[in-house]
Amino acid sequence: MSSSRRSTIILENLRKNQIRELIASGKRLDGRSPDELRPLNIEIGIIKKANGSAWVKLGNTEVVAGVKVETGEPFEGLENKGALIVSAEVLPTAASYIEPGPPDEETIELARVVDRGVRESEMLALDKLALIPGKIVYTIFVDCSIINMGGNLFDATSYAVVLALATSKIPVFEIIDEKVVDTGKIQDPPINTIPVSVTFARIGDSLVLDPSTEEEACMDARITLTTNSNGEYTAVQKGSNGFLTIEQVKSAAETAKIKGQELRLKFQELTTTGQ
Amino acid sequence: MTQTRSLIDENGIRTDGRTGNQLRDIQIKVGVIKNADGSALIEFGKNKIIAAVYGPREVHPKHMALTDRCLLRCRYHMSPFSTDTRKNPAPSRREVEISKVIREALQPALMLEDYPRATIDVYIEVLQADGGSRCAGIAAASVALADAGINMRDLVSACAAGKVDDKIVLDINDTEDKEGGADMPVAFMPNHKQITLLQLDGKLNSEEFIACLNEGITGCMKVYEVQRSALMQKYFGNETELKE
Amino acid sequence: MQEVRRKFVIPGDIVVEGNSRPLVNVHKSGNNIIASRIGIAEVGRDGAKVIPLSGVYIPRANDIVIGIIKDHSSLSWDVDINSCFSAHLPAQDLFGRDFSPARDDMSRELSSGDVVSARIATFDRTRDPILTVQDKDLGKIPLGELLKISATRVPRLIGKRGSMIQTIEHATSTRITIGQNGLIVVSGKNKDGTQLAIKAIRMVEEEAHTSNLTQRIKQLLGVEDNVQIDSKSRSGAPIDNDEGHDDSMLGDKKSVQSESESLSRDQ
Repeated sequence: MSSSRRSTIILENLRKNQIRELIASGKRLDGRSPDELRPLNIEIGIIKKANGSAWVKLGNTEVVAGVKVETGEPFEGLENKGALIVSAEVLPTAASYIEPGPPDEETIELARVVDRGVRESEMLALDKLALIPGKIVYTIFVDCSIINMGGNLFDATSYAVVLALATSKIPVFEIIDEKVVDTGKIQDPPINTIPVSVTFARIGDSLVLDPSTEEEACMDARITLTTNSNGEYTAVQKGSNGFLTIEQVKSAAETAKIKGQELRLKFQELTTTGQ
Repeated sequence: MTQTRSLIDENGIRTDGRTGNQLRDIQIKVGVIKNADGSALIEFGKNKIIAAVYGPREVHPKHMALTDRCLLRCRYHMSPFSTDTRKNPAPSRREVEISKVIREALQPALMLEDYPRATIDVYIEVLQADGGSRCAGIAAASVALADAGINMRDLVSACAAGKVDDKIVLDINDTEDKEGGADMPVAFMPNHKQITLLQLDGKLNSEEFIACLNEGITGCMKVYEVQRSALMQKYFGNETELKE
Repeated sequence: MQEVRRKFVIPGDIVVEGNSRPLVNVHKSGNNIIASRIGIAEVGRDGAKVIPLSGVYIPRANDIVIGIIKDHSSLSWDVDINSCFSAHLPAQDLFGRDFSPARDDMSRELSSGDVVSARIATFDRTRDPILTVQDKDLGKIPLGELLKISATRVPRLIGKRGSMIQTIEHATSTRITIGQNGLIVVSGKNKDGTQLAIKAIRMVEEEAHTSNLTQRIKQLLGVEDNVQIDSKSRSGAPIDNDEGHDDSMLGDKKSVQSESESLSRDQ
């Protein structure tokens, strides 16, 4: 059962009014323009024990994603494909109102939306990751630990997952005498495309990109759009209790494609240079 | 467990290139989690662990509060990508036990009677584990507690010693932990000289036990130097001396 | 001038050996006085103490605080005062003794998200702090920008007899209301003044323990170093603070000479 609840951070009315007034005149609290991202800092490969990892800092939001590759049974109905499992956990370190425990509906939604963006874009050529179709396939786990909440978890988590995957090194498994053997060799993951997630918050009549915690506390609605290298939309999610107009959705979609491509070029740079 | 292969070569060099009484490299950064009241990131060998403290703060649900002192809650948790094989995110029995012994290691240092009806929550998140993670976690948590401005009698330092190839060595790594003869984590209040955590996993005779304990305490004092300088660096920066 | 020895300490460090009176944020161990917090240790004729550089605000009776209204029950508002306890403001405090929940609408006076300045009327170890807005200049703050600093830096921000905060107010044409709990409201007629004031406040927070801070603040504000600010007492919230502020709930409210209360020598 899902029930609506009040915002978890108490933003004082003085600040809410200040934000609404600024945004109505095209400005934001931290001086950004409506289409501007906060400083984005990404470190690759910091968890050496993982097959791939990324530490993303988007403004004050910090997420660490790690990739672990094993073997296992394929998903039902997808016998010829490797299995991809994307999970996320908001750690209790992330904010004062987070309690330890199993993921709540917000966290589950977050993980599923991020997963959708990666899966539907076919970022990984999973058909290349089956060892014995129907029996044994590569199982790719991508786990995210959100360590500090600063707003816009959707994008920060998505960037962490995408970069951890894109820069991972996958062990080469072989079947010898009907058993799975790690040959000790490593390979690059079979990547088709780089999906990029872009999130907007509607505050009053304006849309702002990459909302901060304070902006999220006074937003009326939110929309996340993920595009692939061909400019196709592979995942969309409207969130929060309010509504969006048709114009707003169209405008968000247009900007998401453009910003998506800008970020994609930056990500591609990271995956080739490795740092 | 009884060792099966040699882990120290003929020159006294261990699997990671160290000598018997050498500590792994340690780095501590204070105040890394903006939202927390106090926090620290520790890199202890290959361990990468974050400790965050929220408190003193209100207890929810209210009936759990203690009337005469502060509640102390502690959680040690490993991210799924932190170990060699992927770990299920649900809390394991090992994590539950470690959470408890860590809480009991930190409690003697905290002046909980100063904050009745409140709680102090300590979260230790392991991003990468490589032997001695509970000790590294305690060292980071202790720094985070001081960073949060909680009244403390002392910091708590921690380090593990062990038996490898029948020799007592300092700060055992993951391989030595898995394959060696004994593993003894120790937590220690460096100024009050009191032991707040002590565990043994393995087999030691009387002499070995004392030698291992002493080695562990020596390790704790070395870890203390790193904790101290990390806190001084954050709070006092380059002003090492107060100008009178 | 009394002789005072000072040094930087972390918990567990020896502040002084031998017989000295333990004041605040220290504890006795054997024959020594030990620091309980990170901060600046001071040993003087009165005793030994540590001026802390971090720590959540612990409420104290009679402190002036700034809070944000969270919610209300039928008889009082719940107020977030940035501390380890929620505070409560009884409806009777605003409506009077014959307050009736059926007749009087609480959200007409104060609603969720409103900012108020209040005095802590009562607080002890057994219950949450109770607030009052009955005194002069307390109550809802309708305009301004709210910011949070560490409560441990508030004495430094106020300065000796209010000198630091008044320097900032005069130079930026703002009015700054400071809560002992570290919440501050800055209101000014022009945006640049407000932003400059906020910058100065953040600088004091960051560098509270360093020397020559007043000089650097004056530089930032474009004020001549030898300009004397007339520190007449002002109306309104909590400025004239010559007294020491310790935040251990057990410490009695010791009145300490103001020269040893400022975190740095240079006033």
